[in-house]
Amino acid sequence: MKKPIPVILDGDPGHDDAIAWMLAKASPELDIRAVTSAAGNQTIEKTTYNARRVCALLGISAPIAMGCPGPLLADPITAGNIHGQTGLDGPKLPEPTRELSSLTAVELMAKTLQESAESVTIIATGPQTNVASLLLAHPELKEKIGRISIMGGGIATGNWTPAAEFNILADPEAADIVFSSGVLVQMCGLDVTERALVFPEDFQRIRAVGNQVAGVVSEWLEFFYKFHRSIGYAGAPVHDPCAVASLLCPELFTMQDLYVAVETGGEYCRGMTVGDLHGRTGHAPNVRCVLDVDRQGFVDLLVRAVRAYDGWEVRV
Amino acid sequence: MSERIPVWIDTDAGVDDAMALLAAGRLDKLDIRGISAVAGNVEVSHTFDNARKVCRLMGREDIPVYRGAERPLMKPLNTAPLVHGVDGLGGAELPPSEAPVLTLPAWDALYAAAQAAEGELQVAAIGPLTNLAIAFGKYPRLKKLLKRIVIMGGAAKGGNVTPAAEFNIYGDPHAAQAVFKSGVPVVMCGLDVTLQVYFVREEIREIGRHDTPVCRFIEESTKLVLAFSERVGSQPGMCLHDSCPILFLTHPQLFSGQEAGVYVETRGAITEGKTVTDLWSDKQFPEKNAFVVLGADAPAIKKLVCGLLESY
Repeated sequence: MKKPIPVILDGDPGHDDAIAWMLAKASPELDIRAVTSAAGNQTIEKTTYNARRVCALLGISAPIAMGCPGPLLADPITAGNIHGQTGLDGPKLPEPTRELSSLTAVELMAKTLQESAESVTIIATGPQTNVASLLLAHPELKEKIGRISIMGGGIATGNWTPAAEFNILADPEAADIVFSSGVLVQMCGLDVTERALVFPEDFQRIRAVGNQVAGVVSEWLEFFYKFHRSIGYAGAPVHDPCAVASLLCPELFTMQDLYVAVETGGEYCRGMTVGDLHGRTGHAPNVRCVLDVDRQGFVDLLVRAVRAYDGWEVRV
Repeated sequence: MSERIPVWIDTDAGVDDAMALLAAGRLDKLDIRGISAVAGNVEVSHTFDNARKVCRLMGREDIPVYRGAERPLMKPLNTAPLVHGVDGLGGAELPPSEAPVLTLPAWDALYAAAQAAEGELQVAAIGPLTNLAIAFGKYPRLKKLLKRIVIMGGAAKGGNVTPAAEFNIYGDPHAAQAVFKSGVPVVMCGLDVTLQVYFVREEIREIGRHDTPVCRFIEESTKLVLAFSERVGSQPGMCLHDSCPILFLTHPQLFSGQEAGVYVETRGAITEGKTVTDLWSDKQFPEKNAFVVLGADAPAIKKLVCGLLESY
């Protein structure tokens, strides 16, 4: 087997962040070197607490650092309507088992990159605030970043506004910095994530795996589904795991390299990821846009991942 | 025969505008009450002249042609001479119009026509929407008098002049926003549909084989746009952008689409002129103010246009 890819998990858990991390931890192809929290789905205090609880549940032993308290310039927004008051409402979770790192998220990311012999992939499933801050403070470390695999944006549509997706809208300036950094961005936007639907029969398959993590994941999915069903979805669009799955199993996904820029102005379009579909700008592609997924293959991958937790159980 | 549709055509006559006008002239269901010219593909002095010449080519110098805005509401004029030629008709020669030159401004003429049609007038707007915006400003009551505005412009996804914006909307985004906010139902034939309907070089040559003034003009006027499309276009031929809204009026069954909220970005750094739709987003605009055309029976539309052009 190939050497595992070192990764940093940066996210704002969040149900789908947590499922993304479950997939990452279950995959021997990835080596989790650090975990950093981002303000987004909920406040930084809540997402940091959730990050620590999720790491305790999954047995992630990498250091965890608290991210930037809010966006670089934008007024903060949260998604309490989707993820609940705690940011991770639903099943009871274990209390954190590890101390929070005394480093900031950016310090921990930089240290991780500096100490790694190989290039490190950053999986960023929340607003891009921490990653942008890292790129601004440590331009010399860009070459140590293999790629930045994000959940965010959308070439065809937005969700939080008609033009903008939540993670990008939450910190458009940060996203602009990341997209124009020169580091390869692999973007799982709404184009693919709204096709990565998990249906109730799929939750049952996951629950039937029978271990503790399987039970929690199926409840998270159910919670996530309830909200989305109320606004017309046939299943739960599990956005964030796409950012992990597209690294693990690129063959399940359709991708297209495009030049993508982020609108930071605008009355309607702030936070839009603008894809140069017809090559109008003359710029070389900077983003690998993930546009479609083999849904069944994706669900099978999630089911295999929860099976990896057989025999693992923590006290709740 | 069913009732004819009273229609006003607002155009920046251009090459594909000319084709659309020629097609409209042979659609018996359309009762063309007037044509207004606007700056867009080229300056209004040319588009006014071109619309008049095309009416002569159609043998319809009875259709009144009015001159409209010289420039967009709030930004400098951006023309497309690489596609349409300096004169707007790709350098094709047409005999000058013999109709008297009308001096009534486009917006006044449009308002008068709308009043005369008593709420039945539809506007096919196939250039930047400056004339309509000026008309709404001068005559707020016009919003209640127009039955519908069918435009060529915008795109739910992508753009052509920039990655996010289509030429006609980008040309005058403020005017376009005034139209989408007017309360008049808008049908948007944007790039989503118009890029699906195009003539490749061989198909144009086939039209040119009919040795009539109209068909010769089509072959002559489209040379530049064909070469441009083959060089840098997203499609391998000449899109029938402006024919789509004309045919939507008479043959809606050849098109498909969806009601949506649509507004125009006028302040974006890289999205100026984007038609923002809520077709696929969780967040919905409070109102569905437009019908966004997304699909077309391209072979049927092309066949129809060929037949109309060859019927002269």
